Amino acid sequence: MSILKNVVYVLIFPGLLFTAVFGLWLAGVDRKMVARMQKRIGPPLMQPAYDFFKLLGKETILPDNAARLTFTAAPYVGLVSLVVTVLLIPLAGFQVFGGVADVVVILYLLTIPSLALIFGGSASGSPYAGVGISRQMVTIMAYELPLIIILLAVGRLAGRGYDMGVTFSLGQMAEFQAANGPNIFHWSMIPAALAMLFVIPCEVGAHPFDVGEAETEICEGPLVEYSGAPLAVFKLSHAIKMFVMTALFTALFLGGITTGMLWLDIIIVLVICTLVTIISMSLAHAITARLKVEQVFKFYWTVVTGLALISLILVWIGV
Amino acid sequence: MTASYLSMDIMQHFPVISIMILFLGAFLVAVFGRSKAMRVIIVSASVLTSFVLMALLIKPIMIDGQIITYWMGNWAPVDGYAIGIGIEVDALSLFFGLLVAIAVMLSGFYSFKYITQDDSPDKFFTLYLMLAGGVMGIVLSGDLFNIFVMLEVMTFAAVALTSFRSWKDGAREAAFKYLVVGSIGSTCVLLGTALVYAQCHTLNLAQISAIASNDMNPTMIMAFALLFTGFGVKAFMTPFHPIAADAHAAAPSSVSVLISGVFTKTGVYGIIRVSYFLFRSMGMSAMQTGLVFIGCVSMFVCVTMALNQHDFKRLLAFHSISQIGYILTALGLCSALGVVGGLYHAINHTLFKGLLFLVAGSVLYGTGTTYLDKLGGLAKKMPQTAALFMIGALSISGIPPFNGFVSKWMIYQATFEKAAETGSIGYAFVTIICVVTSVLTLASFVKVGQSVFFGELPLELENTKESPLSMRIPMWIMAGLCVLTGVFPNLMQKYLLNPAMESVLHPNIYIDAMLGEGYTAAHLLNQTQLASSSYTFAGYWDPLKWLVLFVIVLLGVFIAMLLGGSSKGTRALARDDKHDTFFGGEKNVYSQVASGDLFWGFKHNFRHYLSFMSNAHSGVTNDYVTWGVVDLAVILVYCFIFM
Repeated sequence: MSILKNVVYVLIFPGLLFTAVFGLWLAGVDRKMVARMQKRIGPPLMQPAYDFFKLLGKETILPDNAARLTFTAAPYVGLVSLVVTVLLIPLAGFQVFGGVADVVVILYLLTIPSLALIFGGSASGSPYAGVGISRQMVTIMAYELPLIIILLAVGRLAGRGYDMGVTFSLGQMAEFQAANGPNIFHWSMIPAALAMLFVIPCEVGAHPFDVGEAETEICEGPLVEYSGAPLAVFKLSHAIKMFVMTALFTALFLGGITTGMLWLDIIIVLVICTLVTIISMSLAHAITARLKVEQVFKFYWTVVTGLALISLILVWIGV
Repeated sequence: MTASYLSMDIMQHFPVISIMILFLGAFLVAVFGRSKAMRVIIVSASVLTSFVLMALLIKPIMIDGQIITYWMGNWAPVDGYAIGIGIEVDALSLFFGLLVAIAVMLSGFYSFKYITQDDSPDKFFTLYLMLAGGVMGIVLSGDLFNIFVMLEVMTFAAVALTSFRSWKDGAREAAFKYLVVGSIGSTCVLLGTALVYAQCHTLNLAQISAIASNDMNPTMIMAFALLFTGFGVKAFMTPFHPIAADAHAAAPSSVSVLISGVFTKTGVYGIIRVSYFLFRSMGMSAMQTGLVFIGCVSMFVCVTMALNQHDFKRLLAFHSISQIGYILTALGLCSALGVVGGLYHAINHTLFKGLLFLVAGSVLYGTGTTYLDKLGGLAKKMPQTAALFMIGALSISGIPPFNGFVSKWMIYQATFEKAAETGSIGYAFVTIICVVTSVLTLASFVKVGQSVFFGELPLELENTKESPLSMRIPMWIMAGLCVLTGVFPNLMQKYLLNPAMESVLHPNIYIDAMLGEGYTAAHLLNQTQLASSSYTFAGYWDPLKWLVLFVIVLLGVFIAMLLGGSSKGTRALARDDKHDTFFGGEKNVYSQVASGDLFWGFKHNFRHYLSFMSNAHSGVTNDYVTWGVVDLAVILVYCFIFM
């Protein structure tokens, strides 16, 4: 019975089916909000879902230059590892699979989908994909530095009560927030939360940090040779990544909001995820043009890292 | 069953046999090695025996916690003074011994086929086994001068092997540099040994350890600094790293496996023995800071140098030192978790870097070059080699669930816990440097993947063939070990790492086992322990559960794909000009991004640093010697000020 229950958790809620639907919905919200901010009507909310099913029905074409196995397997590896990552992030105290991976492991698990995109694109053999993966890798290098500093700052704040003095455990971070209120209400955490809001669009590959997939310059880079189902899977991964990153933001900075009813708590978290999507992705998308790759890198290693460092230092001196 | 008829009486001969058999093999190959069959039999027999003997010792030493003492020629100590050469194997020695035996065995099997393209393979295997025997001798020996002798055997074998392909561009030059800079290290070790002998009147490791830390007079401090630097040269710590790059690029790949996976580990082993055991100086916070600093510099400098390389093997060489940097950093923390993480990374590094060097060797064997810009698209011609490369690359970049991740994760926790424990934010920056290095490592392997295995296949490589089976089998074994050591960290900790960590942090047991119960209590003044041997993780990581979840979701996706009916199948396009890449209406011919142009955004921002670095690595031996001597001076001054 418990096996069946776990399979339901993995495949239905909060696993595969739910993440896919909610991710696609977030992508729809993002597109709609950007359109409204630019005074357009915009597509219907479920447009990304329609696109997904349309692509599934299309033929998959293997380019002559491609290393076939890597080319076809990469999207699925990326999608699956992303869905597994969702299962490891607590949604308002609802965590089915605790004790599997801490926050640093999640940082690394999140690179697997990006790597899948990189190696998939690389395997296609197209020079456009070559440029794309080069840029994609630079964006990974760009956001990883601030992200680890953010995680360390939160880990230091939440870990004070434990004998190690630090923690990487999302469970302990949730406990800390349940006892002391959400992290974002600590002065020292505000710069880190801001930095995290910048990290989200870069990790997701959203405009204006989507240098790796710039449609207008390099024809979507790594995706240039993809078609049909694998392309649909990549688009789905992109949407799910929005959910993963916003859920991670919620777990790190807005945990511990509880009403006593689990379903209501989960809904609150999902609403927060939507709001974070709008603030960190739609807003930036609507008001800025795409950066150059060296600007992205510089921005993250100076401004965003600086914000995260301020947090780390403030936590260290005990503000 | 083994335990019943393999009593300790027999087992105590195992360590010395596993050293002797390698040297014996070396001489036999030199005499009878002309015929291929004889060569294969002799080399296989000696490396296999050596490995099996080491593996049989796991039960008594790692699990039962015994220590094997063996006095050569039965010259037992008289009145508490060691007069003969002792071989002593505790968990730490066995840990490194196992690592050596595995690498030597797999790389040896690989070499049979790999070296057929060269002249005089018998000489190759003679040197190969000399190198292996030397390394084995260092890690199992209980005598400081014996260690020096073995160090010399090892170094000269390695120098000769570096120039083995002497027709190759730069091979002799690399060997010369190696010889010159390496002899700085050997001189330091010899001088340090002499000073220790003058002060302690003994060369036995256990006895030195019991009395050395009682009186740390300036002579002893100098001896410490010299020994530390000497072993540091063998580990190629920065600033001795440039010689490693040249040596690896010139040496045959199976030798690179030994130089990177095993030779450098003797340096690490030496540093552990010198600073944790002989002088017990690791408890001092200045020593910890110093070693962590050296580790961080090695880590960061070498990974950025690796990003700049255009040669597969040079790139791997720089990564070796970068990974050694991780190990030194972890060991410098002097905490139980740090030592466990460092040792774990040591064994992981031997496995994944061994695998990657063998992959580079296969590429060289198949195509005749390791120059990144001349390669491309090999995944179609060498699919298994490409798969092996992916496993190695993901392991070294620390992608879960492979082995590199677990050890790096332990090191992050160890550094960050150290930061909380000491209250110093500096150690938090060490964690950050470790993570950044890991990302840059990933980047440089993405570059190798793109330039060697993916992308377009150059016309001249159309006829490349997959490497022969006898070369693939050792690689698959290494890849399998990379996965296993990554998926079962609990077993690794229980059976290998924790016993080794215990013996690093509790050197007194070693001394008492060698010189008799109560020897430490009678001679050692300061009995305080270096660090507690219990540790807790700041987080958790369960690779098995993750894999189960991964498989379930994968099945779910496939069922969904079947039900949802991606009805249209896949179609491979027929070769047609219209599918080529066009730019501005003109067809692009082989427009693959050159390896040097990848990651432009990163390189642009770091252009001043990178050009400074590549200018500094001038390739002139004099410069490197100067760096080495300056480094030695700095270490000496540092030790005199803080010890």
